[in-house]
Amino acid sequence: MRDRTAFRTLYERTSAKLFGVTLRILKDRSEAEEALQEIYVKIWQRADRYVAGNYSPISWLVAVARNHCLDMLRARRPVSDDIDVALEVADLAPDPEQAALNSNERSRIDHCLAELDDDKADAIRGAYLDGYSYDELAERYGVPLNTMRTWLRRSLLKLRECLSA
Amino acid sequence: MSVSGEDSNGRDDDKVLVGEFALALLDAAEHERVARRIAAEPALAAELQLWQSRMQSLDREFVETPPPANVFAKVESRLFGAAARPSAAARFWDNLALWRGLAAAGLAVAVIAVGFNVLRPAPDSAALANQLVASLEADGSDVKFVAFYNEASGAVRLVSLGGKQVPDKDYELWYIQGSQAPVSMGVIPVDARTNIPLDPKAQASIKPGTVLAVTLEPKGGSPSGAPTGPIVAKGAATAI
Repeated sequence: MRDRTAFRTLYERTSAKLFGVTLRILKDRSEAEEALQEIYVKIWQRADRYVAGNYSPISWLVAVARNHCLDMLRARRPVSDDIDVALEVADLAPDPEQAALNSNERSRIDHCLAELDDDKADAIRGAYLDGYSYDELAERYGVPLNTMRTWLRRSLLKLRECLSA
Repeated sequence: MSVSGEDSNGRDDDKVLVGEFALALLDAAEHERVARRIAAEPALAAELQLWQSRMQSLDREFVETPPPANVFAKVESRLFGAAARPSAAARFWDNLALWRGLAAAGLAVAVIAVGFNVLRPAPDSAALANQLVASLEADGSDVKFVAFYNEASGAVRLVSLGGKQVPDKDYELWYIQGSQAPVSMGVIPVDARTNIPLDPKAQASIKPGTVLAVTLEPKGGSPSGAPTGPIVAKGAATAI
């Protein structure tokens, strides 16, 4: 009974955020509801894999939800070779030095994305928040796949340099 | 396995590759290949962590949207349903499919009584406590519940056997003693099991003959504290 109460509390505090994730990435209400169920089952059964550290519980949960949805999308795309990486973030030992950086990160990502061309920054946001693949991004921006890939790889390198500067 | 970390171009390539991985841009086969490298190479794991910790600032853009209420009930029953329960009696109680089958046969109350007596382990304090059961239904309504009250636990367990959620409405459970005013036990879900802990006053009030009733109320329950909607199911508590 204590577990049930604990689960209800977890669900009440986090389900709106995680449903926001599944809706945004899957873009289909009934799929998003179905995925949300799977995600909570996964979270609850493997809650021991959450490692306290500089990942706050909510960002860990968002990462699990996002990865679950991305796994679903990836499995549907060409070249399907399923692998369970949904919980990979939990397996990485947190780096305590980053805790201090977290408060600056919000402005940092905004600042660094702002240094890129607008459409490239949007494409990176689209990949992270909407789960768009290179194919989908190429189509959205009306450029050939290879062009999109080259674009984005260059932008990622630039972004990476700014993020660690 | 990797020779790409040897020069600065290789390092840049790896940084970008892990960035692509973190953004989920890679196809399934490449994604898996990179996942294996990350697991094997601490430098790449650190790189992934950097990407994740920076990118997760964008998580604020996922807009909070409350999921429909039935999602919780489904997850809860998957996590805490039949398989998770320790005792035979509890498993029996938790088996919603079983209950639905019993309701269809019209035997719910009789079978609960038999079921609990048969499945109850050797007498203990719980077994000696008062246990009551009520089958809640009404003519012209497909809403059906079975309620079980165990004095030792001080809680009513309620199983929904029939009826559908009505848009913008909630079902509310009441107990009624003799000619006194109904007392609310709260809003209850359909298509789920519910455990309703009772306050001491309610615990003392529920006896054989106490009537339990379900009414259809505005969302969130009766605004006045007294029933406002039609009774869709009711029944008297019977000792087991």
